[in-house]
Amino acid sequence: MPVTIDQLLERVEKPSRYTGGEMNATVKPINEAEVSFAFCFPDTYEVAMSNLAIKILYGIINDLPYAVCERCCMPWVDMRKELMDHQIPLFSLESRTPLKDFDIVGFTLQYEMSYTNILDMLHLGGIPVKSAQRSESDPIVCVGGPCAFNPEPLTAFVDAVMIGDGEEQIVELTNAVREGRKQGLSRMDILRSLTKIEGVYVPCLYQDAYNEDGTLKSLTPVDDTVPAVINKRIQVNMDEAYCPTHPPVPYQQVVFDRIMLEIMRGCTRGCRFCQAGMLYRPVRERSVDKLCEMACESVCNTGYEEISLSSLSSSDYSHITELATRLTAELKDKRVSLSLPSLRVDKFVQDTLTQTQQVKKSSLTFAPEAGTQRLRDVINKGVTEENLMETLGNAFSNGWSAVKLYFMTGLPTETDEDLAGIADLAKKSAGAYYAVPKGQRVKGLRITCSASVFVPKPFTPFQWCAQDRPEEVERKQQMVRELFRPLKSARFNYHDSAVSRIEACFAVGDRRLSDVLYRAWELGCVLDGWNEYFRYDLWLKAFEDCGLDIDFYAHRVRAKDEVLPWDHINAYIDKSFLWREYEKAMRAETTRDCREGCNGCGLQKVKGVCSVCG
Amino acid sequence: MRMMAVFQKGETLRYIGHLDLMRTVQRCLRRSNLPVKYSNGFNPHIRLSFAAPLSVGVVGQRELMEVPVEDGVTEQEFVEAFNKVSPECLKIVKARSISDDFPTLMSLVAGSRYTIRVFGSPEADAAADAFERFMALDSYVATRRTKSGENPCDIRPFIKEGSIQKTDEGYEIKLESITLDNGALKPSLWFESLCAFAYCEKPQHIIYRDAILAQPKDGPLMPMEEYPHV
Repeated sequence: MPVTIDQLLERVEKPSRYTGGEMNATVKPINEAEVSFAFCFPDTYEVAMSNLAIKILYGIINDLPYAVCERCCMPWVDMRKELMDHQIPLFSLESRTPLKDFDIVGFTLQYEMSYTNILDMLHLGGIPVKSAQRSESDPIVCVGGPCAFNPEPLTAFVDAVMIGDGEEQIVELTNAVREGRKQGLSRMDILRSLTKIEGVYVPCLYQDAYNEDGTLKSLTPVDDTVPAVINKRIQVNMDEAYCPTHPPVPYQQVVFDRIMLEIMRGCTRGCRFCQAGMLYRPVRERSVDKLCEMACESVCNTGYEEISLSSLSSSDYSHITELATRLTAELKDKRVSLSLPSLRVDKFVQDTLTQTQQVKKSSLTFAPEAGTQRLRDVINKGVTEENLMETLGNAFSNGWSAVKLYFMTGLPTETDEDLAGIADLAKKSAGAYYAVPKGQRVKGLRITCSASVFVPKPFTPFQWCAQDRPEEVERKQQMVRELFRPLKSARFNYHDSAVSRIEACFAVGDRRLSDVLYRAWELGCVLDGWNEYFRYDLWLKAFEDCGLDIDFYAHRVRAKDEVLPWDHINAYIDKSFLWREYEKAMRAETTRDCREGCNGCGLQKVKGVCSVCG
Repeated sequence: MRMMAVFQKGETLRYIGHLDLMRTVQRCLRRSNLPVKYSNGFNPHIRLSFAAPLSVGVVGQRELMEVPVEDGVTEQEFVEAFNKVSPECLKIVKARSISDDFPTLMSLVAGSRYTIRVFGSPEADAAADAFERFMALDSYVATRRTKSGENPCDIRPFIKEGSIQKTDEGYEIKLESITLDNGALKPSLWFESLCAFAYCEKPQHIIYRDAILAQPKDGPLMPMEEYPHV
């Protein structure tokens, strides 16, 4: 008797990762739909169900009368092995349909180190991993999300890429596939029809050429029916955008087990390392009325006990105090607590602090990113030490005792003095705590400093920069670690330099890296984002087997006029603006927040999109 | 006033652990807008408790929970409001309002009734064949896995009654187990033990808890939902 999925479930850890059936999960019959979409998340269920994009796009597609969207996540190692041993294809959570039986299989790209999972999920789902090997009956494989702004390393595996906000284009793409299938178009004709959709990029219709030094020479369309430049999509009005107020509510605890209220998209700060800050321009806010309505609907539909405000920089929201006041008032009777994450230190007003604690206290998170003012100026992080100390002082006297500080090591121009500044800030934070009189502060000070490794990202002023070599990264990490030793209440955590190195390659790499990715997966790389499964040795071998050099991708300074693999993607941010910002960074010169005046990033040329520059 | 609710934890929910189920029910109660009572403090939660946790993998046919509610909520209102907002596999079958001096459900637990649906196979035949001999034993020592480690434990005293029947799809085993000083017996351990005794692999099966039992003073074991209140 063949083994059933139910039997597999009895043998694996956390079977509820695979059973679906949550409140608000869709129950549309898949065989009656004209077009079916498998929304795939290349990481485990717990990570997937914490993602906002899946909630939005799952809701949008399922609202279409002719379509069904089901979810699928990367199985954990135990389930993966069971599926392979028993040759059961990877299936969707809702109807347990194998991935290969969907019309469209879409992956969201949140992190470069999840790329091998995409290959693995395709393979487990019964779909040929390489696009070129797919037959007429195989699904169209598409991707979207932040990493899709440089999709080149995924060229061999992906049929179509969605650039920018997904709300509208995912409907157009789903409909185009539906029409194409209905008309009996060939796979290639369907792909060509997708290029007519603004924001959609079909990599196989472009040809790459290289210079003798290995840099990219050109990436050109195969003929003139294919656009030479792909413009990102922008959801202009956030009040009119789809509101995910009835997302599936997981049974098991997930990473962000709460309502995520997206108060705005975009950020005006212009931190020079930050890809999201550039990609999601311009800033677009939802109105307070709309957000209160969304919050109430979400609470009624989900039963969640906590709401967090979600955006790149929540305290920059124009009406943050009014919003916090109104939400606190409306949610108090329902015993729903409000937490304010990703708060920036400089505008963190005292009254907002008082309001959050009215319902519940959680640990505070700040991201100074660098240890000295000079380096913070280089990265254009407009936060000063006085800002941070003042805010911490307020927080500590208002009942907080746990603080997380985020930093980056290996930033361009960084010196040992900047690194010492990290420990220094931790020391001063402790000072701010002890400055509060004993009776007024809560016991148990905990300062956690986490340092990631700088990774150059496309569409940032640092896209031309090299990452520190691993030996240098490790030297710096050890140095800071030593400086933390005498600090009693502070801890220092840091990222693995090897992981960050591979991440850098795939962040700024070209389409030749498809071979490396395939080879690495073939060698057994999978779940690379989980430290215990990251196999640096196999990655090194994969690069070697393909004759490609990690140094070339991760540790090379790029020339101003070098053709970058993402030059054909238009994020509406001028390359000249980015270069100007790069030069200013080298001089440690800051650029004002664009709410204080337009900096001419490129968006001002698109009419009526940016509310800041008009 | 408290509400005692008999609910079903359906097949899709059988892999959800106790704490996750608690959270899920709390979220259903929030969605229902029923006037339930909350704990005090910075992190208020609904004062919900279950009579007896169900082991992961077991389907619950008539599970029991209790939750304090404001006076005036009727049993019917409670059932309707909850079922309107709960997932398909989590429905209240019946509610009974109980007064504040009714003992806590947890303190009343005296045993459970189970059905084990065994799907036909040579292993199932072997296990069925050994059933009567297994039940006739005076004692059977199995390894019980608890938080404190693995302990040998005589599982026979837990079983009050047991029977087996042939069905169209295989076999159906009925068990009545009682709680002892050292806790309750997991039905999966009992079934594993039967298979070990029969020298066979575990056949495909599903375990159902049909009722949670209570025992009034000097009376017989009975489903707790019918426990008389003096």
